Amino acid sequence: MDLQWQVSVENGRVVGAPAGRVDETTWEAFTEHLTAAVREAAAAGANLVVDLSRLDYMSSRGLRALTIARREAGDAVPITLAAPNPRMREILAISRYDKLFVIADSVHGDA
Amino acid sequence: MLVRFWGTRGSLPVARPALAIQGKIARALVAASGQTFADEDAAHGWAQENLPFHTYGSYGGASSCVEIEGGDGAFVVCDMGSGLREFGIDAARRCKEGHPRVYHFFMSHLHWDHIMGFPFFGPAFDPGAEIIIHSGHPDAEEALRRQQEEISFPVPFDWLRAKFTFLTHKPGDTFEAAGLKVSITGQYHSHDSYGYRFEKNGRSVIYSTDSEHKLDNMDAEEAFHAFFASGDLVICDTMYSLGDTVSLKQDWGHSSNVVAIDLCHAAGARRLALFHHEPTYSDRDIQQMHAESIRYEELVRADRPPLEVICAYDGLEVRV
Repeated sequence: MDLQWQVSVENGRVVGAPAGRVDETTWEAFTEHLTAAVREAAAAGANLVVDLSRLDYMSSRGLRALTIARREAGDAVPITLAAPNPRMREILAISRYDKLFVIADSVHGDA
Repeated sequence: MLVRFWGTRGSLPVARPALAIQGKIARALVAASGQTFADEDAAHGWAQENLPFHTYGSYGGASSCVEIEGGDGAFVVCDMGSGLREFGIDAARRCKEGHPRVYHFFMSHLHWDHIMGFPFFGPAFDPGAEIIIHSGHPDAEEALRRQQEEISFPVPFDWLRAKFTFLTHKPGDTFEAAGLKVSITGQYHSHDSYGYRFEKNGRSVIYSTDSEHKLDNMDAEEAFHAFFASGDLVICDTMYSLGDTVSLKQDWGHSSNVVAIDLCHAAGARRLALFHHEPTYSDRDIQQMHAESIRYEELVRADRPPLEVICAYDGLEVRV
């Protein structure tokens, strides 16, 4: 399955929105999009929101890409994961990524 | 092939303290309230059906040692953790019944928790025993000899009576040993570690412990897809959560349940055994990790065939 990616600027925040799934076949594209979004947010002095609402799920490849993005972002670009579906919420909990990232209920909410 | 787990704990052997045993008994008594049992067998039967494994059983606490039966009749053993002591006792019993006194060991690496059972391995004193130690490390003999030096142990290596042979293999090698086709691959761990793939009659068992799959080197996982390919049983280091392996415990040389499942999915493996359990985990913690692993497999399975996820415990036997 292909991975789609849209990026927008909303209320001073860069919002990256993957759609589809992130697994061993799509993680590289996801990483590239995510890294580009981090750099865009850094250049704009903005936060980055990863809108997960159209993402079916991500496996460990995608989760680890989030960590790579976090390292790229450093302290300059706070990253929030927003609107995960129930499946993604479970994956974030099982992997303990819910302890590493801020999870927001909606793209417009804080947490 | 038959795989028998003699030690499944990572880093350090553990024993449950009295308080933990008392907790199990109390939970069992509460659960059995109102039941009557004609005898111990009836109580066992009821407990097995009605109590969770963390109450009725235990994952055990011996460090890594896994036996594989099904080669040419020689013993085949992966690693010499503290589980090796019990294996040695059982092997002596089997030898008395006529089992060949030939042992092939396959060493993942030489860290203490993977060799600490060797000084207590009774067959090493048997002058009729032949012990072949396969390793990716050229310093395997040095590690075992050093462990027997007087500062650490009262019996020097040279007092052992078995005939020893040390064989060093290169990553990527495939060779025959004990009637099995064996392949070896390199893994990321302090002082390196090695995984083994054992094959016979179209069946395969993979032993891959103490193997960190690095965040910044995910391309390297293609090699593990090939190494695990169509594996009937893949025994994997699943010591930590993924979150731990990318944060606090990064570079500690271990992997997670989540990455192991993804590797097995991509490899088309049939069964995964969670292995090298974190020593601070209680039986309840390990059972929860097992349940979460089964759930994660379902969540990311997509259109793949199901991967059976089992959790290794000391004493578990798995027929492949």
